[in-house]
Amino acid sequence: MSMPNSHTHTVANKDTRFNDVHSTGAGGSGRWSTKRIAVYALFVALAVVLSFFSFPIFPAAPWLKYDPSGIVVLVCGFAFGPAAAAIISILGFVPHLFTNPFGALISMIVALALSVPAALIYRRLHSRKGAVIGIVSGAILGVIAAILCNVVITPFYAHMSMAKVVAMIVPILLPFNLMKFAIHGVVTFLIYKPISTLINK
Amino acid sequence: MAASMDQSPVPDSADPKATVARLSQVSFSYDGGRTWALDHLSMEVRAGEHLCILGANGSGKSTLGSILSGATAPDHGQVELMGRSVCSDTPGQGRQIDTEAYRQARRSIGMVFQNPEDQIVTTVVQDDVAFGPENLGMPRQKMLSCVPAALKQVDLQTRMNDNPTRMSGGQQQRLALAGSLAMNPNMMVLDEPGAMLDAAGRQEIQSILRRLTAQGTAVVHITHLLEQARHADRVLVLDHGHILASGNPVRILEGQNLPVLAREDAQQAGSEPDRNTSSQSATIHADTKSMVGDRADTMVKLSGVSYSFPDADDQALSHVSLELAAGQTLAIIGRNGSGKSTLARLICALATPDSGSIQVAGLPLAGPDRPKARHLRRQNLKLLRQRVGYVMQYPEHQLFADSVAQDIAYGPHNLGYGPEQVQHRVDEAMKLLGISDLADRSPFDLSGGQRRLVAIAGVVACSPQLLVLDEATASLDPQACARIMTLLRVLHRRGVTIVMSTHADREALGLADQTLLLEHGETLAYGPAAEVVKRYHQLLATEAAEKETNRTQTDQKPLSLLARLDPRAKLATFLLAMFTAFAISTPRQLVLALVVTVGLFGAARAPLRSIMNSVKGFLALMLLLALFNLLVTQTGRKLAAWGPFVLTTGGIWVAVLYACRFMLIIFLGALLVETTTPTQMTDACESLLSPLSKLGIHTNEIALVLSLALRFIPTLGREVQAIVEAQAARGGSIESGSLSQRLHAAIAITVPVFAGALRHADNLSRALDARCYEGSRQERTHYRLLRLGRIDILFIALMSLYLLALLLHPLF
Repeated sequence: MSMPNSHTHTVANKDTRFNDVHSTGAGGSGRWSTKRIAVYALFVALAVVLSFFSFPIFPAAPWLKYDPSGIVVLVCGFAFGPAAAAIISILGFVPHLFTNPFGALISMIVALALSVPAALIYRRLHSRKGAVIGIVSGAILGVIAAILCNVVITPFYAHMSMAKVVAMIVPILLPFNLMKFAIHGVVTFLIYKPISTLINK
Repeated sequence: MAASMDQSPVPDSADPKATVARLSQVSFSYDGGRTWALDHLSMEVRAGEHLCILGANGSGKSTLGSILSGATAPDHGQVELMGRSVCSDTPGQGRQIDTEAYRQARRSIGMVFQNPEDQIVTTVVQDDVAFGPENLGMPRQKMLSCVPAALKQVDLQTRMNDNPTRMSGGQQQRLALAGSLAMNPNMMVLDEPGAMLDAAGRQEIQSILRRLTAQGTAVVHITHLLEQARHADRVLVLDHGHILASGNPVRILEGQNLPVLAREDAQQAGSEPDRNTSSQSATIHADTKSMVGDRADTMVKLSGVSYSFPDADDQALSHVSLELAAGQTLAIIGRNGSGKSTLARLICALATPDSGSIQVAGLPLAGPDRPKARHLRRQNLKLLRQRVGYVMQYPEHQLFADSVAQDIAYGPHNLGYGPEQVQHRVDEAMKLLGISDLADRSPFDLSGGQRRLVAIAGVVACSPQLLVLDEATASLDPQACARIMTLLRVLHRRGVTIVMSTHADREALGLADQTLLLEHGETLAYGPAAEVVKRYHQLLATEAAEKETNRTQTDQKPLSLLARLDPRAKLATFLLAMFTAFAISTPRQLVLALVVTVGLFGAARAPLRSIMNSVKGFLALMLLLALFNLLVTQTGRKLAAWGPFVLTTGGIWVAVLYACRFMLIIFLGALLVETTTPTQMTDACESLLSPLSKLGIHTNEIALVLSLALRFIPTLGREVQAIVEAQAARGGSIESGSLSQRLHAAIAITVPVFAGALRHADNLSRALDARCYEGSRQERTHYRLLRLGRIDILFIALMSLYLLALLLHPLF
C-alpha cells in the first residue's frame, strides 16, 4: 500500500542515497540533498579538526607529523564515492590555505591521490577484498604523490637544491610516509564497516 | 484503539481556514510495518492555538511533530497542512504524496529542535537569522527589517553581530526560534526545545512561546515535562502511538493521573523519598567507613587550584580549595561556564592546573609533591586510572564497540584484568544499571537513555574508588534519571566516593554530603547542600536582574577599514600576496613586502594580541627553519665555524629571508581571517568560484558546505577532545602500550568521533530543511550585498601595484 515512489512525486530526486519511504521531498529538491550537504560539511570539519591532532611518529624526523585527517577522506570515499572523496580532500584543507598555502596544496594533492582511487576501486569491488585493494593502491599513490610534492616544495621553505631533497627521500621521506599511510589504511579498514552501518541507519 | 479520555480529537466542522494542520488515521512505522510509532492517529492544530503534545520517550511524539512540520510523510493516512492536502490515502490508489504541496506548506511552518547547537548555520547572529528568509527569496529590503524584528522577539536584538557558537544553550535556542520567526510562519513546531537547557533557559523559551501565540502564530510544543503544558490552550497526551487524552491543560494536569509523564521537579530526580533513602545511606556510610579504612582517609584534596585555558584570558578556575573524605559525596553546582567541568577534569588528571596542588586517591597530581621524574608521573597516572572513574558530559558519545558488553569491557580490559575478571565486572556493572538484557545489542541501536546507562556502566565496570560525573542526568527522561540516582546511592553505600557536577538542585540536596557552588571559576559557597543551594538561587535571581540592566550596554565598535572592504577584494589580493611571498629574494623586495604588511596591519587596527596568539604555534617552526637554513647555506663570507658547522654571511641572509617570507605568509593569513567573518569568506568564495558553475560544478552548494564546516570546526574540536579524554580515563591510550592496544585505542576514539559527526549531520540536515534550503534550484536572495565600491577598487589597485613591483623587480 505504501509505495515508496508514487507518481505524484513532482521532483525526481537523483540523490537516492539520502532518500527513503517517508520522504516529503524536504531536503531533496536541490541538486544536492540537504543530507548530503550536511554530511559533507561535517566531514570537512572533521578533516580540519583531526589535522590539528597531529603528533610525530618518526623519531628520525620529529618535524614530520602524523595527523589522522587522511582517515576521514578514505572513509568518506568508501561511504559516499569518489566525488565525495574529492570534495572532502580539497575543502578539508582550504582553511589551511591561510596559514600554509603551499602545504595546503600538497595536502590536497596527497589526499586526492589517496582517497579517489581507493573509492573508485571499492565502488567496483564492494567487499573486504575490494577495501584492502583500494586502501593499498590509494596508499601507494599517496606515498608517491607525497614524495614528489615534497621534492618540489621543500626548496621554497629551506635553501636546498632539489637534488639535496631527493637525497632525503630514502632515509626520511619514504619511511615516514610509509608509516603514515600504513596507519591510515589499518585504522580505516577497521572502522569503515561500523561507520557505514551507522551511515545507512 | 485511539482511546481518548475526553473530547474526541477528530476534526470538527469548523471552516478549514481555522486549522493549520489536520491528520486523519495516520500511521507511521520505522521498521516497514512490524511496529507502529503512530497508529491510526487523528488530530488537528487550530490557527493561533498553543498546543502542547505530552508523552514519554517512545510515545511517538517526535514522529508526530515531524509529520506536522512536513518533514516526513506517514505510511498511511491523510495529512493536510496549511489548508493543502499534502498526503492522501484512498482505498483505490493508496498513499499519494504531493511534494510540491508539501514544499509550499513547509514555507509557512517553522521547526525548532532539541539540540540548540546543531541548528546554527553560520557564525554571525544576524546572518543566521537571515538564512531562512534568503531561502524563501525574501527581498533584501524586507529582510533588513524582518531580521532585527525576529531577534527582538527573542530578546537578542543587542547580539546582532555576536558569534552564536559562543553563546549559551538558552541563547542558541532563542536564536533558533528567531531564525524560524523571521520566515513568518503560521505554525511553529518545537520538539523538546528545553530538553538541553537549564531551568532559566526553559523559562525564557516558555515566555517567548506565550508571546507568539498572543500574536496569532500556532505553536505546537512537544515535551515530556508536565509543567511546560500548564500555559497551553490545549494538551494532547500520547502513549505508544495513540492519543491517551486531549483537552484543557488544567483538566489533564490536575484531574488525571498520567503515569507516562513526569513533573519537572521529579525529572530533576531526588524527590521526597530519595531524600529519605539518602539519609539512610548516610548512616550506612558511617558504618562502612571502617571497611574502607585501608584507603587514604582523604580522597580528594585541592588547595588553591587555578586553571586557565590556553587560548583564554580569564581563569576558568581560580583558587579553588576543597577536601572530600573517602566515601563522601560532593555536588558541584553552578551555571553553565562556571568551571564545573574544568574542576571535574582536573580531579581526573585530564588537565593540569596552572597553580595549586591536587591530591586524588592518595596520588599527588599537582603541586610540590607531584613527582618530577617522568616514569613516576606515568606510574601515578596509571594508578589513578584504576582508582578514579570519569563520566563525561553526554557520556553516550564515547560508545564505540559492536556490542554493549564489548563496550563496557573496554575499561577493565585496559586495566589489565584477565578475561574472566573482565566478564565478571561487565556482568556486575550491567546488573547495577539494570541493562543486562542489552548485553548483545549494538550501542548505536539503543535509545538515548539506554545509551547513557551503558556508557556509565563502562566506567563503573572499572570499579573506581572515586567516581566523577559531569552532569550525568542532563537531558534524560525520568526513568533513566531514576536509574542513575539509584546507582549512585548503591555506590555510595558501598563506600565509593562521588563527585558530581549538576545544575539540578534537588539531586545535590538528595545525595550530597557537601556542596560547592562555583561562579566564574570561584568558590561562592561551600558546605551543606541546603545553604549552598539557597545561595545559588539568590545568584540566579540577581543574575536575571543584571541581565536586564546589561542589555543596553553592548556597544558596537566601528569596523576597521580592512574589515569594511569587500571580502572578494581582500581574499583574492591576500592569497596572491601570500603565494608571491616566495618570489621575494632581494633585500629591496623584502623591505617593500614588510612595508605593505605593516600598512595592512595599520588599516586593520588589528588586535595584535589575538593575532600573535593564533600564530605563536608557527613561530617555533619558523625559528627551527631559520636555524636549519643558517647551517645548510655556506655561501658568502665565512664568519665562524664550529666543527662541521660553518656560519656565513650567505647563511644569515638566507635564514632571515626565508624566515621573513614565512612570517609574511602567516601574518597575512591571520590578518585576513581576523578581519573577515566566515560568512563573508563564504560569500567571497561563492562569488569568485561562480564562473566554475558553468562547468557544472555546484559552486553554491560547495560554498554552503564550506561555511557550515567552518561553523562546526569548534564544535567537533571540543567533542574530539572530550572523547580522547573519556577514553584515556578508561585506560585507552594511543601513545603507549602494545601495537594492538594502540590500535584498539585508536578505534575507540575514531568510531565515536565519526558517529558524532554523523549525528550532527543528521540534525543539521533537518535544520536546513526546516529553514527551507533547496540549493540553487530556488531563487535565493542575499542578506549581505557584495558590491565593489570605490574604496575596494582603490585597494585592489594598490595591491596590484605592490604585486607588480614585487614580480617585475628582478627585471630592473
